[in-house]
Amino acid sequence: MKVDSRITKKEAYLKPDETQATVTADVPLPEETAEGALAERRLETNAAVPTGRDSSVWDFKARGEPFLWGLGGALVFGLLMIVGFVALIVVNGIATFYPVPIEVVKTSDGTLLAGELIRTETFRPTADTLKTLPAEEVARIEASKGLETRRLYRIGNFDLYNEDFKWIPEYKIAETTEPPNMYFVERMEWGPFIGTIKSADLNGTVIEKSELSDERLKQAHREAVTRRQRIRSIERNEIAKVNTLLEQRRLALRRVELRRGAESPEYKTALDAYNKQAALLEIQYQDLSKEAAVVKDQDARYTITLADINGREKTIKFSDVVRFYPANRLTFLDKVDVYLSRWWEFLTWEPREANTEGGVMPAIFGTFVMTVLMAIAVAPFGVMAALYLREYAKQGRMVSLVRICVNNLAGVPSIVYGVFGLGFFAYMVGGSIDSIFYPERLPTPTFGTGGLLWASLTLALLTVPVVIVATEEALAAVPKSLREGSLGCGASKWQTIKYIVLPRAMPGIMTGLILAMARGAGEVAPLMLVGVVKLAPELPIDSIYPFIHLERSFMHLGFHIYDVGFQSRNAEAAKPMVFVTTLLLITLVFLMNIVSIFIRNRLKKRFFAGHF
Amino acid sequence: MDNDARSLKQTRRWVLIADKVADKVITVGGIGVIVAVLGMLVFLIFEVLPLFHGGTVDFAKSYTLPTSSSRTMALSMDEYLTMGAALRQDGSIALWHAKSGAALQPLMMDLGGKKITAFSSTLDNSGFAVGFEDGSVQFGRLKFSADIIEEADVPEAAEKLNDAQRTDGTAIYTTIPGRRVRKVSAAIELDEPVTVSDAGKPIIALDYHLSTFGERPKRTFVTVDADGVAQVSLAESKLNLMTGASKTTLSKVNLPPIPGNTPITKALVNDAGEEAFFVDANSTVHRFNLRASDNPVLAESVRLTPDGVRLTTLGFLTGQRSLVVGGSDGSVSIYFLLRNDKAPSKDGYQLVKTREFEPQTSPVTAFAATTRGKTFATGDESGNVLVRHGTSQATLLRLTTKPVQDAPPLLMFSPRMDGLIDLTANTLNIWGLNIPHPEVSFKTLFGKVWYEGYSEPGYTWQSTGATDEFEPKMSLVPLIFGTVKATVYSLLFAIPIALLSAIYTSEFLPLKVRSKVKPVMEIMASIPSVVLGFVAALVLSPIVETWIAAILLAFFVGPVTLIVMAFLWQLLPPTLAVKFDGVPKFLFMFVVLIFALYLAYRLGPLFEHIFFAGNFTTWVTGAIGGPAPFLFLMNLPVIGLLVSWLFARYYNYRFRTYILARPMPYSALLDLSRWLGLTIITLILSYISAKLMTWAGLDPRKEFMGSYVQRNTLIVGFAMGFAVIPLIYTLAEDALSSVPEHLRSASLGCGATPWQTAKWIILPTAISGVFSAIMIGMGRAVGETMIVVMSAGNTPLIDWNIFNGLRALSANIAVELPEAPKDGSLYRVLFLTGLVLFSMTFVINTIAELVRIHFRKRATQL
Repeated sequence: MKVDSRITKKEAYLKPDETQATVTADVPLPEETAEGALAERRLETNAAVPTGRDSSVWDFKARGEPFLWGLGGALVFGLLMIVGFVALIVVNGIATFYPVPIEVVKTSDGTLLAGELIRTETFRPTADTLKTLPAEEVARIEASKGLETRRLYRIGNFDLYNEDFKWIPEYKIAETTEPPNMYFVERMEWGPFIGTIKSADLNGTVIEKSELSDERLKQAHREAVTRRQRIRSIERNEIAKVNTLLEQRRLALRRVELRRGAESPEYKTALDAYNKQAALLEIQYQDLSKEAAVVKDQDARYTITLADINGREKTIKFSDVVRFYPANRLTFLDKVDVYLSRWWEFLTWEPREANTEGGVMPAIFGTFVMTVLMAIAVAPFGVMAALYLREYAKQGRMVSLVRICVNNLAGVPSIVYGVFGLGFFAYMVGGSIDSIFYPERLPTPTFGTGGLLWASLTLALLTVPVVIVATEEALAAVPKSLREGSLGCGASKWQTIKYIVLPRAMPGIMTGLILAMARGAGEVAPLMLVGVVKLAPELPIDSIYPFIHLERSFMHLGFHIYDVGFQSRNAEAAKPMVFVTTLLLITLVFLMNIVSIFIRNRLKKRFFAGHF
Repeated sequence: MDNDARSLKQTRRWVLIADKVADKVITVGGIGVIVAVLGMLVFLIFEVLPLFHGGTVDFAKSYTLPTSSSRTMALSMDEYLTMGAALRQDGSIALWHAKSGAALQPLMMDLGGKKITAFSSTLDNSGFAVGFEDGSVQFGRLKFSADIIEEADVPEAAEKLNDAQRTDGTAIYTTIPGRRVRKVSAAIELDEPVTVSDAGKPIIALDYHLSTFGERPKRTFVTVDADGVAQVSLAESKLNLMTGASKTTLSKVNLPPIPGNTPITKALVNDAGEEAFFVDANSTVHRFNLRASDNPVLAESVRLTPDGVRLTTLGFLTGQRSLVVGGSDGSVSIYFLLRNDKAPSKDGYQLVKTREFEPQTSPVTAFAATTRGKTFATGDESGNVLVRHGTSQATLLRLTTKPVQDAPPLLMFSPRMDGLIDLTANTLNIWGLNIPHPEVSFKTLFGKVWYEGYSEPGYTWQSTGATDEFEPKMSLVPLIFGTVKATVYSLLFAIPIALLSAIYTSEFLPLKVRSKVKPVMEIMASIPSVVLGFVAALVLSPIVETWIAAILLAFFVGPVTLIVMAFLWQLLPPTLAVKFDGVPKFLFMFVVLIFALYLAYRLGPLFEHIFFAGNFTTWVTGAIGGPAPFLFLMNLPVIGLLVSWLFARYYNYRFRTYILARPMPYSALLDLSRWLGLTIITLILSYISAKLMTWAGLDPRKEFMGSYVQRNTLIVGFAMGFAVIPLIYTLAEDALSSVPEHLRSASLGCGATPWQTAKWIILPTAISGVFSAIMIGMGRAVGETMIVVMSAGNTPLIDWNIFNGLRALSANIAVELPEAPKDGSLYRVLFLTGLVLFSMTFVINTIAELVRIHFRKRATQL
């Protein structure tokens, strides 16, 4: 062969004993032998040194050391990239919720500001700025090659300052302190408040902070939270339920009108029934809103007055406080407590403030429901197609062509599936469903727009090639002898598949399915087209008939990252949230992958075990 | 068969039934799934096809209107195609039912007995201006009102016109869904006349532009009177809130005299009243620049048609930037007014012919444009009417009418562009048009188009604009370019790293480490791309912007440090080298690379200072520093390769035999010094070549750089590399590992080193598998969406600058499809984009798959 002859020509001058060494070096020998061989060779080399000519152990060209380092360097670089990436996500994600002290900065012109130190970085002040600085500052900056550090503070109080974050260059800082009376107050609106607590108005009795212990405040806050939850429960659940019922009745009436016409007797009876029910519901609604008004009224009597570092006061309802803590007086346990309660909030609450605060529960829920629906849709069809290709279809040119196509489809960009999902599922199929089953709701689309069902089906389509390929591989791995044995024993084809082939292939199928789910959970691009929204207050599953609302749009962790990171008012304020969401998503996806790898490895072992 | 018959007796019935059912279900389901998945392609094509259909005529009707001795000046029609109107020179307005021609009661304008000598109207013919023989001008509006009324409010006496429409002689009542009725009626509004011609001469040509709407309409209009005096006037109407009467104030400026002394046949004033055009009887177009309102300038007098060809029609498309010129030879073309400092005009602008259309067969006599988009129609003397589109230059429809001698036809589009009417003498033709996507053609999608307001033809993507007059620019070329650019740069980054790592993993890494490294890389392949996009755009891009010099430096320092360490490693006594081979060496590589990166980080500012005048992002724009240092860097790898190749070609054999004879530390030192020598030669040669190139005037910043944006292709390359590296790595490693073990053993047994084995045996055997891995990685990069959406800046440019943004096909879909109205042109073009993407990846993946199958066959044969 040509290749071989080149080698022999080039390496002709390699001495046999030299190459021997190379081979020994690379093919690992059993421990003791390697030791022995090394010792032997050491002797040889030592003996060889004086002669000079035979001493060079390796031909450097043949050894290719620089190339090896190049190859290894690439791998090392790849691994470093991965480690760095994961570390970045994990560190930022985990650290986000940990409370940090509040620093009070006195600037050189005497103004005060209080905030959490987010990070410091170096920058190059412009010449104009340098001119305005005192000589010693300029000298200091000169000494550090014209570079100056600056600190980013989260100053909060967006309602007072109209900004959340502030850069302070080092030369402006006169002194920083951490006074113990500073509080970090997280609010339902306007983001956090950083300052002191001045007084609290508890149902008419004004108590100054000096007489107010943290315990007392916490107690009042707990009560306020109960009231807030009650108001929320009335407004979000009970009144919403009444409204939904009313809407359902109205649609039913409209349905009768569309079917029978407005003059028909059916419509007249339906209208009467509707009016009666509407009146009943109206009474319910009135009762509920009265109750809500009472609680709200009571709630408004508990307020807390906060003051920022410069004494500007702000009075808010106690129930608008999410959490508060004296940031500079926390013990380690307190900090852990705050940390955990923030995680709890993150995992179980709804988002607030354009998704930059609060939790991601609807997104977790949406991702979960969608992935499960997708798996339900993809598993039977993927397995069926694979079974057909592997067990039923006549293996020939046609089937291998189909196989190539299926493999190819796994590589078709996800956005193309999104385009298809929007055009076919949402507009074509959904539009038809609307005009047949929901004419009373038109022109508001029900299924005729993106929604949970269409998103799941689109992703199912996207992942079906993955499942087909994985299942086919798993089916192919089942030894032919097993099949023949089963058939030979008189089992029918289906019995063989059901009792012999599928159980053996199950781990492989599961691997494929989990991989498909992991891909589905992390995919965002197609979902942007078929039903994911930035904020969906209504979960796709709730207590209102028919309980699972497949037509609703939903939230998704991946899209949440995109939305919060790129569409929010302040990218800096949103970043921590994005990091935590990212950590969550990545953990989810990694877990699924690790499980699938684990299953695959077990399958491999079993497969090998079956052979020996 | 016998066999079956025997088994039937033994097998329970339901087993057989289950077998049959499973057989059918799996076959049907399996084929169904495959067909469904492939059906995607069919659906996409099905959605895209209407784009290329052009237009159809829904209905065509022809009827005769009551004869009138007076000439018709303009036609008009309401939004719902129910009522037509003809403005006549005697001040009467004939109205008729659009679908049948049934005449309604005509309206009459109260013109005070004056005779109309000139007429001009807006594009939709709702507003008009008339010039009189006494030199005055009057503005008016023909308004169609459409009110939704209850069935009960329709007058009893209304006569039936057809199934859905009735009339009471003045209004038309149309029954619409929901048991309601739409009443369409016409009314005329006239402003006070204003006197323009000081000499009281008849106005012979007139055109106006309405610049503000609402309570205080402001009109700029140009007039020419019988003496040839051209004027530009500004009429401002103020509505008196108390009396409801409007008062018009007039200010006018005489234009410089029009040269040639030939009667003016046509006047035109453009958008914002900045330019006025007059056509004289010799077909010369005189353009006045009115930008300085008190000092108008005659900018140029040109012929827009060849000598001997009369200019027969002149008009604007909506937006008033495209001037449509029709000639007596049937030619139709569009002129733009473009800035050109070398133009022979007085104001630095010039009329430039930018688009040429399919010619009519005889002199062009009629022209009409729509208010919706750039569609227009031209008619000729022989009765042919062509509906065309200004941007795509396509002929959408061909219609014919019966020509009448000496009666030029009048054309008019309905306000919603769903109908076209033509009046030739007293014969009225009406066509119901259905042209869903007039602006899209193969040429506008893939060819160079000269768009309004652009100085040259180009490929542009800008699908939506602020106003109705916007010309959608839907060239897929910048998007395809963006995809290619993102793919190329990300693969430039990914392929070396992925392939080199794969070779190292499969050939040099101890088995134990390999079994750990591979799953890690595989898991990396599953990182959601939205995460990569987020990190790239929000974390990486600011860091890269600050540390760009250090990052560029790392690409040099990293490899160089590794090579230096490799030569130093050669200095190790063989016993130690063997002892440390494997895991310790690999760990040491970690240390070395981290050190190299740290070095790059520390040297970054210094490097920036020396090479890029201290500030890379400014240097890129060409504002500071020279190109020589950069050229030096660019030349380094090329010249380095050249030098080492030359050395290998001419001196290697001698050098190798020479150092083979040396004792150990000396031979390694000699090898190191060889490398150092070559490096120094490379540096010197690079320096000289860079100087020479600078001296020759080469500056890479002009050709393929020039700006730095934060979200640029470098970031995309990094992030996408991240997505693609694990994929290529895994597949390539699989291909390399699946090279049969006996080949490896044989090579090593013959005395080849692992490096020689990898280079000459493993890689050539696995090359097709490796190639297929690259192709699959490429397929992924082409279709990747979130990374490009988030980190590429989404600017549709055609520009190879790595420090500039891009807009890829996939990102374009993600950004624009949610906003695109269903079944609109943009919607379908985006589906086409999806189809293009589909085809691109399908081709790439098919190649990869075929190569892979080929490789598999070969691997099993070996």
